[in-house]
Amino acid sequence: MKPRWKGKGSQAKANADPMSKIVSQLQSSLIQSETRGLLSSCSVLVEVDAELADLLNRSCFGRPRITAQEDKQWFQLDMEEAFYLCFSLKCLKVIGEDGYIKSNEELWDYLKSKKPVFPVSYKVYSHLRHKNWVVRSGLQYGVDFVAYCHHPVLVHSEYAVLVLSEGDNDLNGRLRVWSDVHCTVRLCGSVAKTLLTVIVNSNNQGANSPSCLEHYTVEEQTITRWNPERSREDQTGPKNGTKKV
Amino acid sequence: MMPRWKGKGLQAKANADPMSKIVSQLQSSLIQFETRGLLSSCSVLVEVDAELADLLNRSCFGRPRITAQEDKQWFQLDMEEAFYLCFSLKCLKVIGEDGSIKSNEELWDYFKSKKLVFPVSYKVYSHLRHKNWVVRSGLQYGVDFVAYRHHPALVHSEYAVLALSEGDNDLNGRLRVWSDVHCTVRLCGSVAKTLLTVIVNSNNQVANSPSCLEHYTVEERTITRWNPERSREDQTGPKNGTKKV
Repeated sequence: MKPRWKGKGSQAKANADPMSKIVSQLQSSLIQSETRGLLSSCSVLVEVDAELADLLNRSCFGRPRITAQEDKQWFQLDMEEAFYLCFSLKCLKVIGEDGYIKSNEELWDYLKSKKPVFPVSYKVYSHLRHKNWVVRSGLQYGVDFVAYCHHPVLVHSEYAVLVLSEGDNDLNGRLRVWSDVHCTVRLCGSVAKTLLTVIVNSNNQGANSPSCLEHYTVEEQTITRWNPERSREDQTGPKNGTKKV
Repeated sequence: MMPRWKGKGLQAKANADPMSKIVSQLQSSLIQFETRGLLSSCSVLVEVDAELADLLNRSCFGRPRITAQEDKQWFQLDMEEAFYLCFSLKCLKVIGEDGSIKSNEELWDYFKSKKLVFPVSYKVYSHLRHKNWVVRSGLQYGVDFVAYRHHPALVHSEYAVLALSEGDNDLNGRLRVWSDVHCTVRLCGSVAKTLLTVIVNSNNQVANSPSCLEHYTVEERTITRWNPERSREDQTGPKNGTKKV
């Protein structure tokens, strides 16, 4: 499925300003300003100035939160976003409720305690982010993430992502029965997204520390409906623009 | 949610011809003709004359199947439909692949071997049918059943039904995680149905025979979105006809 850009010029704009570069700028800026996030339940809150706020918005990390302060802006990061900045990009440090900076291992344990599927969920998030996809929460679409090939302002999201795990450790519990497969595929179709399942195999590595992540393997599969009438070889009708059912 | 009739006069038509009466006529007719169904994998096939075909269509049991025969009609019954006719209405007997009539216990074991969740699924099907709802497969809507107040030609279905089980024996595996809840509620909303979960508690009765069904208890719950803006007490805008989100 090709990306659907939102209006003329969006594609050119995106090409001129690749996401990899924006994320790289964010990374440098966070390191330079020695930004500290505050751990708060299942989120990490960061206080940023206008320049960092702009970079967070353009790279699609976190959501701005309205506060009484006028000169500073606060952003709320999801678990996966925060851990990506800390562990993968190494540009953020997180302070726990006790006031101390949490090591990556401590942060890992904490996030796992809040969300048992966190290791698998994080593997998928980071896998897609590394490939320069913008990854956001997909909950309102009944999936785990939605993936955009650039900023949501410029392009519609192409993929609705479900995080699945191989083997007995299937904590996520989606797509185990046919009714769920039909439900999800139908909903994805109605919002013009392709269902992408990213299946993580822990290879019996367990999930004791973030270093186990590099031994996880990932398999991507898309699930779409196949319509025999549209797949005939002798089809002479228009193919472009046909809504994929 | 009030039933949505598909046109003027249809509600009156339905009231004049209650489903309970149609089902009762079907039951009498099947007994009178000593109809025998043929077990075929996960379905039961019945050969019927025009009168019975009409009753099956009007009571919404089974789907007509096109065959080369012109004088007789064949219908394909789902497991739950067939078992309801055999066990609850006692108006059908089923012949196995060995040519002999299957007892209810044998039929029960057979269906259970094909579909592990059959006991729970059947409890839900029969629970709704006993209350004179028309119950059909809901697979295309990503649920187990859809329930109509009367014949689908007269009324749109109101409920999208998921059969869930209480306790460790949760074989169906739906709605275990939030993403599935959002997915299902959103899809149901888009097809104008209310999500109805029917939760069956086996009360530690092992599913050895159909007699255990009477000890199962059933709880019905609808799940809908609550929109604060539409639920304010001082709302002066029109309420009728507003699409429920």
